[in-house]
Amino acid sequence: MEHILTGFSILIDPMSLAVILLGTIVGVLVGALPGLSSSMAVALLLPFTIYLDPVPAISMLAALYCAGTFGGSITAILINAPGAPPAAATAFDGYPMAQRGEAGRALGMAAVASVIGGILSLIVMVLAAPALARISHSFGPPEYFALAVFGLSMLASISGKSPVKNLIGGAFGLLIATVGVDLTTGVERFTFGIPELYEGISFIPILIGLFAIAELLSQANVRDKVLERISLNAIKLPSVTDFKRVWPTILRSSGIGTFIGILPAEGSTMAAMIGYNEARRWSKNGDKFGTGEIEGIAGPEAANNAATGGSMVPTLALGIPGSATAAVILGGLQIHGIRPGAYLFENQPDLLYSIFAAMFLANVVFLVFGLVGARLFSRISLIPRTFLWPTVFALCVVGAYGVNQSMVDVMIMLIAGFAGFWLKRYGFGAAPIIMGVVLGSLVENSLAQSMIIFDHDAWRFLDRPIAIGFFLLAAFSLFYQPVFGWLRRFRRPRSAASKGAK
Amino acid sequence: MRHWMKSGLLMTSLATAALAFSATSGADDFPSEPIEIVVHTSPGGGTDTTARIVALATQAQLGTNVYVQNKKGGGGSVAMSYVKSKPADGYTVMAITPTHLFTMLRGNSPLDIDDIQGLARATDDPIIVMVRGDSRYKSIHDLIEAGRAGVIKWGGTQIGGVDHIAAMSFAKAAGMKVSFVPFDSGAEFAAALSRGDIDAAGLNISETRDQIAAGDFRPLAVMADDRMKALPDVPTLSEKGLDISFSTVRGYVVLKSTPKARQEILEKAMLKGMESDRYQNYLKGIGLDETSIEDAADWDSQIRRMYKAGQETMQDLGLAR
Repeated sequence: MEHILTGFSILIDPMSLAVILLGTIVGVLVGALPGLSSSMAVALLLPFTIYLDPVPAISMLAALYCAGTFGGSITAILINAPGAPPAAATAFDGYPMAQRGEAGRALGMAAVASVIGGILSLIVMVLAAPALARISHSFGPPEYFALAVFGLSMLASISGKSPVKNLIGGAFGLLIATVGVDLTTGVERFTFGIPELYEGISFIPILIGLFAIAELLSQANVRDKVLERISLNAIKLPSVTDFKRVWPTILRSSGIGTFIGILPAEGSTMAAMIGYNEARRWSKNGDKFGTGEIEGIAGPEAANNAATGGSMVPTLALGIPGSATAAVILGGLQIHGIRPGAYLFENQPDLLYSIFAAMFLANVVFLVFGLVGARLFSRISLIPRTFLWPTVFALCVVGAYGVNQSMVDVMIMLIAGFAGFWLKRYGFGAAPIIMGVVLGSLVENSLAQSMIIFDHDAWRFLDRPIAIGFFLLAAFSLFYQPVFGWLRRFRRPRSAASKGAK
Repeated sequence: MRHWMKSGLLMTSLATAALAFSATSGADDFPSEPIEIVVHTSPGGGTDTTARIVALATQAQLGTNVYVQNKKGGGGSVAMSYVKSKPADGYTVMAITPTHLFTMLRGNSPLDIDDIQGLARATDDPIIVMVRGDSRYKSIHDLIEAGRAGVIKWGGTQIGGVDHIAAMSFAKAAGMKVSFVPFDSGAEFAAALSRGDIDAAGLNISETRDQIAAGDFRPLAVMADDRMKALPDVPTLSEKGLDISFSTVRGYVVLKSTPKARQEILEKAMLKGMESDRYQNYLKGIGLDETSIEDAADWDSQIRRMYKAGQETMQDLGLAR
């Protein structure tokens, strides 16, 4: 209790409070802008934190991390340009809602779901970090392979479109993930002698292209009808009935997000994907996902913010970063001479509670910011297309260039944009492609690593209980749909028929 | 040096008073413009963070802006072609690591070892051969014996990276068989080692101090010429008759054709900057000490030695051009 109070006392220190607030606001902004990610912002701020004491320094970075994950949803919902990879899944239903004139409802839901997910995971972090760290420690290549297989098992069903097309899209995503030097052989694949492709295709340009540029091209095909601009509902916040409807989704996603976050190297993006997919699976309106269902926002947003708290668990308790941003924060700890590990919890509990307090405050601040801002930002969706999309295009180019300051990335973004536009016309969604790209290198590398560890004897996967658990979940995920679909057809013949027609 | 002064004078005589500042290209006035440090990774990570702190420390010495420019890709070859495209005037400094040397050896680089000149070394983190605390390999001798009789599963980062080349050089020199398991990061294969998924790994002290202290990891030998201060009881491989020295080093270079006087100014400013409390605290924070810092002559010869050692191993592995 004493340590908790000491930890929270940083919130009354004006200097600490100021840097935490600064971190939060910077976080929301860089999160919202495509191409500026929270991991990059944390990395850029890192050298300057040397001037600060360790506690406010780390608190600022942690606050930035939390807020950055939320920020991505703003642009995902408003202009279909996820500001950061974790917000990709939020765009699936968020943008259709904004198009319908319900931007405020979507933004408000994103803020609330994010905060609930974020705070629940923080509570888990302080209560159980050392115990949970043990789980994350037991995750080796075989376990990751099983987890990735579980992720891939969702490919066919991730969007309401045709399962076959989803699988084709997913395979395309996996193919994109093979570009670059293969980790286990050192052989260059599909690089065509372009050095920028040597380390693989960056995720952010693909994301911006598939979402924002593809949407821009679709918009160019639509005439700006006056009718569509009459959307007075835009600034309405979500209602109580909305929250009644989504609370199970938020709780489920918070659990998923915290768990995925705890796994080293698996960050918010995968958490959001799985959170979205589970929201769809358990929703009554699962087949309407992708057309603007509010649960489709709550699912990924609660999950990706829960993953921020989760990813701090192995970072602090084991020194193994739980995500890319957590890796940079880990560097920040080291710069200040703080060595993470079980010892941290015994020797410096104050620091742990300070980080908790900072992340907690960040969540509260961006809730206020998000709700007040929702009314303001939602007006963006009222801007006529003719003015909005050229601006978005400029933002996208800058975003794609900014990641690595590379024109190759801008080209990749444009190619992904045209490909995305074309694929969309033929009924392929972005979701399975993104899923394939996210999981591609994980599934491939973890299998190759496992096989070396197992002396090339695949049966030895059966020695790993956690891996077996995920393989079973994958099997459940694959066969759930046909079995339940079959049962549903018996019970509700009409809804099944409408699904078939779609 | 002469002709630089001369051209400076010539230009001064030609330039108008308003343009006088552009004429001060003579070594005496260097640096008058911002200096960039080109890093081959995205922001974050050891090389980038070190460069950013060195930039801050050097800036304080030179009185001009020093900033980090990230040019990611191609195992350093994007950074190297960027540096090659810039004039050799000392305003472009490149951070290099063993990765750059191996990229040169693969024949994928626009620069060659003879095109660069070392300025100063910022970090030196020797690779230490480690096994799990309860492993049956009590000494480096046990490990070598086991590797001669069977196969050792060895963890490291990507194929063709410093961990891989170091492990393979060691295996060849000791006559062992090693099955190399590549991971994305040091933290990952450290975890794999403590889980028992792999038998041994080459790790840095900065990543493993607590595990060694707690007895989770057992350091068997250091891949360096001298024993480490932090591990006085751990032998070096060269003591065991194996001339294997690999280290996670980070230092700075310029193009070789950069005027000598400017190289010296940069070297001095960097070394002085790295003496500062700020940089020393950073080193301490990441588990290193002042022996990491090395001047141009020593750093330059270390680069060349590592290049040579890497060349032999990479040719054996079929990775070199």
